[in-house]
Amino acid sequence: MWHIAKREIYDNLNSLRFALTTVLLLALMVTNAVKHLREHPKRVQRYQDAVTESLNHLTDRADDSLYTLAQYGPGNFYKKPSPLHFCANGGESLLPDAVEVGEPPVFMTDAEGNRLLEGIWSLSYPDANLHNKNVGPKVSQVDWAFIIGYILSLIALWFTFDAFSGEREHGTLRLMLANSIPRHTVLIGKFFGALLSISIPFALAVLVNLLLISTANTVHLTTEAWGRLGIIFCLALLYTSLFVALGLLVSARVQQSAVSLMILLLTWVTLVVFMPSTLASIASSFSPATSFEEFWKQRHPIKEDLWEIYREGRSSKSEDRRLRAKSEFYTKNAERDERKHEERLKYRSAQVHRARAITGISPATLLQHLMEGFAGTGFERHLQFVENTQRYTRQLREFVADTDRADPESLHILGVREGMSEKPISPEAVPRFEDTLNLSKDFNTAAMELLLLTLFVLVLLSGAYLAFVRVEV
Amino acid sequence: MMTLIRRELLDNLMTFRFAVAVFIIFLLVVANTAVLIKDHERRLAGHKTEVQKSRNYMSEGKTYSVIELHVDRPPNPLSIFNTGLDKRLGNEIWVYYGHIPTLWDAEKHSSQNPFMNILSSIDIVFIFQGVLSLLALIFAYDTLAGEYERGTLRLVLTHSVSRGHILLAKYISAMVCLLVPTLMSLILALILLTTSPSFSLSMQDFLRIGGIMVASIAYLSVFYLIGMLISSMTRRTSTALMLSMFVWGFLVLVYPNMIVAVIQPSNPPEERKASAHNHIKQIWEAFERERKHYLTTDTHLEGDPYGNLPWRDGYNFEHFQDKVSVLQYYYHAGAEIDGFREARESQVLHVQDYHRFLVPLIIDAAEHTWRVRKPVLEELFVLPATIDKIWLRLSPTGIYDIATQALAGTDLNGIQDFFTAVQQYRQSVIDYYYDKKVFASREWFSFDKAAVDWRTLPQFSFQRSDISINVKRALPDLFLLLMINIVLFIGIFLVFVRREV
Repeated sequence: MWHIAKREIYDNLNSLRFALTTVLLLALMVTNAVKHLREHPKRVQRYQDAVTESLNHLTDRADDSLYTLAQYGPGNFYKKPSPLHFCANGGESLLPDAVEVGEPPVFMTDAEGNRLLEGIWSLSYPDANLHNKNVGPKVSQVDWAFIIGYILSLIALWFTFDAFSGEREHGTLRLMLANSIPRHTVLIGKFFGALLSISIPFALAVLVNLLLISTANTVHLTTEAWGRLGIIFCLALLYTSLFVALGLLVSARVQQSAVSLMILLLTWVTLVVFMPSTLASIASSFSPATSFEEFWKQRHPIKEDLWEIYREGRSSKSEDRRLRAKSEFYTKNAERDERKHEERLKYRSAQVHRARAITGISPATLLQHLMEGFAGTGFERHLQFVENTQRYTRQLREFVADTDRADPESLHILGVREGMSEKPISPEAVPRFEDTLNLSKDFNTAAMELLLLTLFVLVLLSGAYLAFVRVEV
Repeated sequence: MMTLIRRELLDNLMTFRFAVAVFIIFLLVVANTAVLIKDHERRLAGHKTEVQKSRNYMSEGKTYSVIELHVDRPPNPLSIFNTGLDKRLGNEIWVYYGHIPTLWDAEKHSSQNPFMNILSSIDIVFIFQGVLSLLALIFAYDTLAGEYERGTLRLVLTHSVSRGHILLAKYISAMVCLLVPTLMSLILALILLTTSPSFSLSMQDFLRIGGIMVASIAYLSVFYLIGMLISSMTRRTSTALMLSMFVWGFLVLVYPNMIVAVIQPSNPPEERKASAHNHIKQIWEAFERERKHYLTTDTHLEGDPYGNLPWRDGYNFEHFQDKVSVLQYYYHAGAEIDGFREARESQVLHVQDYHRFLVPLIIDAAEHTWRVRKPVLEELFVLPATIDKIWLRLSPTGIYDIATQALAGTDLNGIQDFFTAVQQYRQSVIDYYYDKKVFASREWFSFDKAAVDWRTLPQFSFQRSDISINVKRALPDLFLLLMINIVLFIGIFLVFVRREV
């Protein structure tokens, strides 16, 4: 078996296609690295500037008083750019990069513009990246996901279309099978031969790419990032073996290699280029054009009850009751706003999840999703970021309540100036937001898709085996 | 000559690849057209709800100053041929007298889920880009190399046929074979379109689709000729096939994506943006000084136009809208006041005078801002896109895409047409305001006497540009495609004539 694999590799190494493949992959990977090195520092800079700004807000508010912090909240939250952005772009330019902390709403002012009734902050989730106003031509980003998903799969077919049909044409297949080698050994030999001879230029290109990226002192890759890169490389091999198996399957069944290549190319075009887009179009037609506002109105028809609580409390004689009514009004209102924003996000992400599940039939989309998952970009990552901000928000609110409880002069009525601690707090004591990524969590979300991809590979391999065993030479 | 063509035609028609070509093109085009029609219907429904919503919103506004006019961009029916920028760019724009609206101020209306944009989209030209070029190469790779290998080329050339004739016959017959599935699938797509109730295609639209067909044929022919060139230069079909596939992968997949990643915007746009933003800010600061000056000189107002009005109910607002990323900066104010207490009518007259002075000032500042903003926006957004397009034209795929976008009217020019119409609409609304002296009226900020009658306000209407304009925009690229065809044909001729058989 290794003999056959070795023979295949030697055969391929000298061929024109090997040279062309190497050049093509190197060119693409270098482009990718250069682009990343050019853009990533800017991205990180933008992120850091934004984070510093919102941290300044937090410090100012904490310095002022606990009440100010409780009313205005922390600054906006920003999504940390992934250091593996070059692996999968994941439509990051279309996704929002922040979760916003809304200004406290003003319910009532007097004639001089003094705020009589002023609520507290709440989280809101922007829909799309509004900074994206690019009017240039639509092109795919040259990231690893593109290079592997499109180019490497095409190369896999390019290397295997004549694996059996070519040998049959030359008559060497009969010669080989005349020896006492079982057919499955031949098949597996061919499979590994092709896979290895594709991996050589690919690994070379990947190494050059990583060399460029890691030697530049503007970009730092952590140990975890290297681990993720390792997983991504394995994914690339798995995905390539899918197309190698497909190539072997068709090549075993078809008599002429030209016909085999034609069938393979058309299958490839359908699987990789058209299926993701067509399925996406079909999937988006499942989500109706009704806006979320109508959806929300149907579920929450009444909005006036909050004002009732406030009015009841206002007429009360005791100061304490009045403040408590105000506090309840503010917190309920913020909660309601937040819930509305959250449901809207859920409503919309449910649509996207449905669409993603449908497009997952195509192996190219599966790979895209997996790459995004492990590179820490894309839609799932965005949701994870949103979850992080929500967790932090709960933490911060608990902190505010606890600190307030520690102040003996405070009335412990949250959200109202008269009812809360007016003392400044040390900014160091306030918990900080940290946007983290969790590899094991990513692995869990990706597990299903990973298994599906493996299943595809196994099915195609066994198909190739059956086809080759039965074929007449 | 005719015998040659007939021979080639029969040769091609009977092959397996012809059957596959017909099948694949049919399947892809018909399935996707059906899906795209559904998608278009959804977008149209979204547009209609938005228009309805803006009507309701208008009828709720009671004074002139609080209302911003809402305009929604209808989806282009030809976007199913080439989506271009039609789906990507904003389709909802608010028209306010103090700001000149542009494409970059537009937002996406809420009936759409913006997250869905991360999924890839498809159109008929995209299918043709990939499949037609591939099929053309599959038909072409063995035309000459195959005959050479089999020895039939020598046989043919022993007769008294000129080599040019052979080439021409091969070209014509293969093109006929390729055109059959292409045109048939396009016609099927058209049938689907015309039977769908949501599409109302005009005569001009059909002409535009005709233009797209012409571009598709030219594109097909370019790739067929590339395949033939490769075939005439190689001795073996397998090498020809290999090279053809490499060329296809490079021209269709790699080059268009790579080139846009490689080219770098020349000058640092951030600084330009910052200086322009400062300039615009200064314009509005000057405006604000003048406004403050007016308020302090008019003793009845005492610095705040509504401050001394004892109004019963209502609200007013004023703020500076500031968005650096698209250089949006303007003063926004409005009031909706319901009734004043008695004996204050003279006060109200002063407020009316204030608005008579203020609103033309705002409009002036907006015009002034536009003169600063327009060139910078062009430099920031349009110039890089134009440079990208120039580089894309080095691949026939890029030329084909640009040409069909221009024909369908989904390119930048087509979208800009809409926003020019919006700007004209704003102007006509302002003219109407001047005519009726709306700024100085009481209804500008209060509806205690009478609410505004919105029925006489000019209505927005938009007609897509005339077909002659579309064709004019597409012509350079169509000529480019034709020129590539001719150059390739001459190249093949030269190579083939000198070749030893």
